Amino acid sequence: MKEFVRKLIENNFGKIVFWLALFFILDILVFRQIGADVLEKDKLSLYFLPVGQGDSELLSLPGGVKVLVDGGPPDALVLKNLDKILSPRDRYIDIVALSHAELDHFGGLIEVLKRYRVGVFIWNGVPKNTSAAKGLMKMIKDKNISLISLAAGDAILYGISDIKVLWPPENTVASGESLNETALVFGLESKNTRALFTGDMGEKTENKIMADLANGVDILKVGHHGSKFSSSASFLEAIRPKAAVIEVGKNSYGHPTQEVLNRLADVGARIFRTDRDGLIKFEVADDILRFFVIK
Amino acid sequence: MEPYNIFFFGSVFFLAGVGLESLKLNFWILIITAALAAVFVLFGFWKKNRRFFWIAGLSAFIAIGALYSAAADRNFAEKYFPKGETLNFQGLIVNNPAPRGSSQSLYVRTKLSGAEVKILVKAERYPEFHYGDLISVNGAIKKPESEGLPEQAGLPAQAGYAQYLAKEGISGVVSYPEVNLIAENKGAPFKSFLFNLKNSIVDRFGEILPAEEAAFLSGLTLGERSDFSPEFKEALQTSGTTHLVALSGYNVSIVIVATMALLTSFLKRRIAFIVAFIFLVAFVLMTGAEASVVRAAIMGALVVIATESGRIFNPRNAITLAGLLMVLINPKVLVFDAGFELSFLALIGIVYLKPALEDFFNLPIGGEKGTFSWRENLLMTSSAQLLVAPILIQSFGNFSPISLVSNVLILEFIPYTMMLGFAVAVFSGISHYLALIGGWFVWPLLKIETGLIEFFGNFNLSLNMSLSWILIIIYYLVIAIFIVKMSKKNRLNNERIRP
Repeated sequence: MKEFVRKLIENNFGKIVFWLALFFILDILVFRQIGADVLEKDKLSLYFLPVGQGDSELLSLPGGVKVLVDGGPPDALVLKNLDKILSPRDRYIDIVALSHAELDHFGGLIEVLKRYRVGVFIWNGVPKNTSAAKGLMKMIKDKNISLISLAAGDAILYGISDIKVLWPPENTVASGESLNETALVFGLESKNTRALFTGDMGEKTENKIMADLANGVDILKVGHHGSKFSSSASFLEAIRPKAAVIEVGKNSYGHPTQEVLNRLADVGARIFRTDRDGLIKFEVADDILRFFVIK
Repeated sequence: MEPYNIFFFGSVFFLAGVGLESLKLNFWILIITAALAAVFVLFGFWKKNRRFFWIAGLSAFIAIGALYSAAADRNFAEKYFPKGETLNFQGLIVNNPAPRGSSQSLYVRTKLSGAEVKILVKAERYPEFHYGDLISVNGAIKKPESEGLPEQAGLPAQAGYAQYLAKEGISGVVSYPEVNLIAENKGAPFKSFLFNLKNSIVDRFGEILPAEEAAFLSGLTLGERSDFSPEFKEALQTSGTTHLVALSGYNVSIVIVATMALLTSFLKRRIAFIVAFIFLVAFVLMTGAEASVVRAAIMGALVVIATESGRIFNPRNAITLAGLLMVLINPKVLVFDAGFELSFLALIGIVYLKPALEDFFNLPIGGEKGTFSWRENLLMTSSAQLLVAPILIQSFGNFSPISLVSNVLILEFIPYTMMLGFAVAVFSGISHYLALIGGWFVWPLLKIETGLIEFFGNFNLSLNMSLSWILIIIYYLVIAIFIVKMSKKNRLNNERIRP
């Protein structure tokens, strides 16, 4: 065996030097990345992922906890975007949240659960009887991920971040009411910044949660891809968002509607669209809110 | 005439017959056979050489090949002929369905109108079905039509979609029917086990690596291409590197060489060779033992045998045997499977043209012992590419010269990547965290490779042209003459032959 190793080194000296050099360079790159991660940890970053016609957001809270909200339709777009955002060694997501069990919100999550280790899966607790939705539930079970339904009044506290669930009320079941109005709606408050995640909620829900949002909102995920039955003028007037993100792709519903674009412009919100801007990132560090548009 | 020559000429004529029948030359086949026989008989009298009489007699195999191919055609056509009616049928999934985008393709074996047939069912992505699932399908069965490119094939078939499906033995297509699972695990247990093993390795790669790198590693080690994004597929095509992820003879030969290198360090060469061969068979079975992989394994083994034994070994009959076996199993591959043609031509290039080029440039035989194997890689790529170029141009309308550069650069890393990839697969069976650490080592290599592929995918230097058949024949004749000339010269100064 010793003889073998000696021969191996003698015959391949050049190669060994080359590979050592290569790994040395890569090491430096890796450590730089780790260094960058440590610096990132103190920031609040909100990403809005361009996943076509569907929703997907990634929240990176100060301290390093990651929350993935929805995963877009069933294709690899959410994975592609996560690979852009996370470092290649990062195979763990702390919380995956599903607003409501519709394919353009959870389709991509099945692959995410398959490929990433996930701490906890939270949702509105309203099941849907489709084969894909059953596939999602089966994956959660197979992967042994704890499944928690949240309702209005529940909250997730982590460091200086505070996630408050505003909707739906407890013991909501799928009734005649549309699934969209049962969507998990929550506000995030962290680093003096307020963001609102709305799923596909419509005007009806907006009217019910308006009172909880008296302090206003800095960043709004516009409800239901910019449908005219969401984002009512009175709701926008009440929360006065500074930035409004519409997550939308090619669709036959006419999303985002001109009505919503006008209403958002009327309250002075700066409008971002995942179909035009690509990946949108908001970052709060040292009391400054910056935004980046990553094509 | 010697038995091995009888086998060679007989097989070549048989293959020619299958080819001519596939091109539907029907009546002409008899005329060609008769004309060839006559020509060889005349040659025999002229040259006073009995060999030509033998060859004249063997040319009857053209007709036999044609008959064989025609019989297979008839056998397929007589089976259930779909009329577009809506049917409710039960069947067994006989492929390893690969979800792609928002759909999955299931090959369902069932009995319709008394005939056992294979139906392609295009189903929604979820729920996912598996090999061996017994399902009930309610939908309209249509005849396969030539529209769009086959998604299942790694390389687009040169013929239309219908011919591609006919080659796969598919007699009808159902799009997005109602599908219900009746029972699981009704397939062959060993095949089930192998597909499960393969799928779980692909899943593990996905758990430890970013999506694109994981997909590339799955292609490299297991020939699994279902997770590739359309953009990446296009980059592979433009950079001329698709063969890397198609589990070609090249990948398989790396598997053999690596196992050989590992085994010879503690085993006798001959025993090591046998063990490596057993390992190869297991590997082929694990990747699903699809026809293309079996072919690659035979090819890979041939390449290794050829390089192991220098140029004294004459692989002519082995190559012929491999081709003959493939065509006997499915006569349609000869004309309707570009992948089949490409891999055969590439092998012929590596086995015959590469030594000729080495001689021509006065390079040491069997590759140099330098730090890098770029010269070896360049020679190998060039000799393979020179032979496949006309087919690439003819079938896909383009051939990219950039593939010489991209292949030489990428091939430098591929053997190490494959070995680390297999190591990660083994680690993942032990512990997720061990596999994660393995992933940190293999990731940089994968990143470099996918980066190079994407970079060279930008150079669309494709030569866009069409060639006439005459030109293609002249091209191959020139190469053949070059090879023959170099080997004659080589016979004169045979001191260059490795002892």
